[in-house]
Amino acid sequence: MRPVRIVVAEPGRAQRRLPTVGALQRLGGGVRIEIVNDARACLELASGADLVIVDRELGDQGREILSGLRGVGPPAVVVTREATADAALDTFRAGAADCVTASADFDEVLPAVALEQIRAFRAASARRAVRERIESLERLHAAIVDHFPAAVAVLDADDRLVAVNPGFARAFPAAGEPFEGRPLEDVLPADLLASGGLAELVARARARGGDPPRIARTQAGGAARAFDARAERLDAQGRTVLVLAEVTERERLKQLQQQVLQTEKMASIGQLAAGVAHEINNPMGFIHANLAQMGEYLGDVHRLHLAGCALAERAAAEGTPALRGAGERLLGLARELDADRVFADFAQAIRESQEGSERIRHIVQDLRAFSHRDDGQLVCADLNRCLDSTAHIVWTMMKHSVVLRKEYAPLPPLPCHPLQLEQVFMNLLVNAYQAIEERVRRDGGSGEIVLRTAAAADGVLVSVSDDGGGISVEPVERIFEPFFTTKEVGVGMGLGLATCFDIVRRHGGALRARNRAGGGATFEVFLPLAGPPDAEPGA
Amino acid sequence: MDDEAHILAALRRALRREGYRILTAASPSEALALLETEAVDAILSDHKMPGMSGLELLAAAARRRPAAARLLITGWPDAIPGERLAALGIRALIPKPWDDAELKRALRDALAR
Repeated sequence: MRPVRIVVAEPGRAQRRLPTVGALQRLGGGVRIEIVNDARACLELASGADLVIVDRELGDQGREILSGLRGVGPPAVVVTREATADAALDTFRAGAADCVTASADFDEVLPAVALEQIRAFRAASARRAVRERIESLERLHAAIVDHFPAAVAVLDADDRLVAVNPGFARAFPAAGEPFEGRPLEDVLPADLLASGGLAELVARARARGGDPPRIARTQAGGAARAFDARAERLDAQGRTVLVLAEVTERERLKQLQQQVLQTEKMASIGQLAAGVAHEINNPMGFIHANLAQMGEYLGDVHRLHLAGCALAERAAAEGTPALRGAGERLLGLARELDADRVFADFAQAIRESQEGSERIRHIVQDLRAFSHRDDGQLVCADLNRCLDSTAHIVWTMMKHSVVLRKEYAPLPPLPCHPLQLEQVFMNLLVNAYQAIEERVRRDGGSGEIVLRTAAAADGVLVSVSDDGGGISVEPVERIFEPFFTTKEVGVGMGLGLATCFDIVRRHGGALRARNRAGGGATFEVFLPLAGPPDAEPGA
Repeated sequence: MDDEAHILAALRRALRREGYRILTAASPSEALALLETEAVDAILSDHKMPGMSGLELLAAAARRRPAAARLLITGWPDAIPGERLAALGIRALIPKPWDDAELKRALRDALAR
């Protein structure tokens, strides 16, 4: 206990009749006693004291002290020589906490009363301090939660809502009030729950304390919204708190900036590809033509050679000795040079060079198609050709470790932006290839990519399947999230999966991913026959 | 006409046995000068050249030798709108790299009309 401070208000020695101070000193060394003679001095010191003793002899001054201390300061005990009931009543009415009259055991009674009052006062003060602190914390807490921009919900061990903040009601107005006691599935939109795997997020938080945040999306209420979802365990009773913070304008802006950057990158790569294609085109023009011509000329020269050999044979058989010699020399030279082999091989070399130049021609064509500036107009395209030309471009990268299988069905022409779709196919192909590469590095062997197309009643389905390591993220849809970290697409000609998702969505279609039963993954693109919902030029 | 010498040589080689008299020009101005003095039956021109494009050249050629067949050979067939070809009376558009057989056939068809 910290040192006790007692203020004693009593008259001067002349009028003093009670041994107040002497009695108080029996409380021991830890007591500090301050003696005053008037009300003002007493009230000044009272705020720091644990107890005030007022001698009734002070009369009006005493009453002033009592009224000054009423309800505010430390308790006041009145000491008096008048042992009458009236006097006692009077002191209590004036505000005293207790009254001690002069008597034989004054020396014992006063300290006991003093101690009792001091203890009660201190306990009450301590309780009041704690209560005030609690109230202040509660106010702060309420202020924070009420103004918190995110939706906050506290769930009990059965996933029922215990409490929500105003932000929650604002974010999900369709839920309807009251919230308490209702299960989460009842209150949040179904697509939000599914896309974020929120039930599972909460369960994991309850079990393990917390989990990495996820993105959940919903179309409820008309507009598409995305939320950053987090859950944390609250207490040992299995309560958890779920926070859903809407992805704000800034995030959306960042995402758009990323897309613009990607588009610009693609545009400059496109320009580069176009320039390279042009530079290659001209020399390829005359190489190709010259090879054909050389093949023709070779044929001519061969005929000449055969005629020469025929002449040499006649000469060697029937000619004059000089002619015979010349003929045999020619035939001998032909044998020495292995002329037949030379001609055959020459022709072969020309054929192989022509094949090479054909391949270059196709690559240039594909590069040109790929880099062709998109003028924003919808074009009716055969997706088999788009897929094929894209596959051709990446084939050179893939052919050593991957087998490419094509299962194309006849497809109706589809209104679309072929350049954008080709970029999507490019990305899916490169991803498939990289997944296989990784698996092969680990376990050896080789891999297979299957490209399938099919016509459905209302659209076209294009799928890219691989037998790589599969998608290890759950839920699988997370790979389409804007800032989900994935490896950089190695070739640099692909777009992030988020952008692919966006492109397909803007075509009115859907991009899905799933793991295959035997290992690996399949990415499916569905595109409606009707084309994009509203044609956005240059989108 | 083409501004690349090797292409001219390859074209000449390809058409050598067709029985034509072949004149070559390495620039539009050279080509136009030739057209002043020679009565040609067909003009085969590249498109992307410094100074004047193939379309412009063929338009000018049409004024000097209206009877001559006009053909365009180019690495950028998509860059040329079909209406312009028709307006200029261009009989054929041959993509680069060209196929010799296709080239010969196009020329024969153009001259037959």
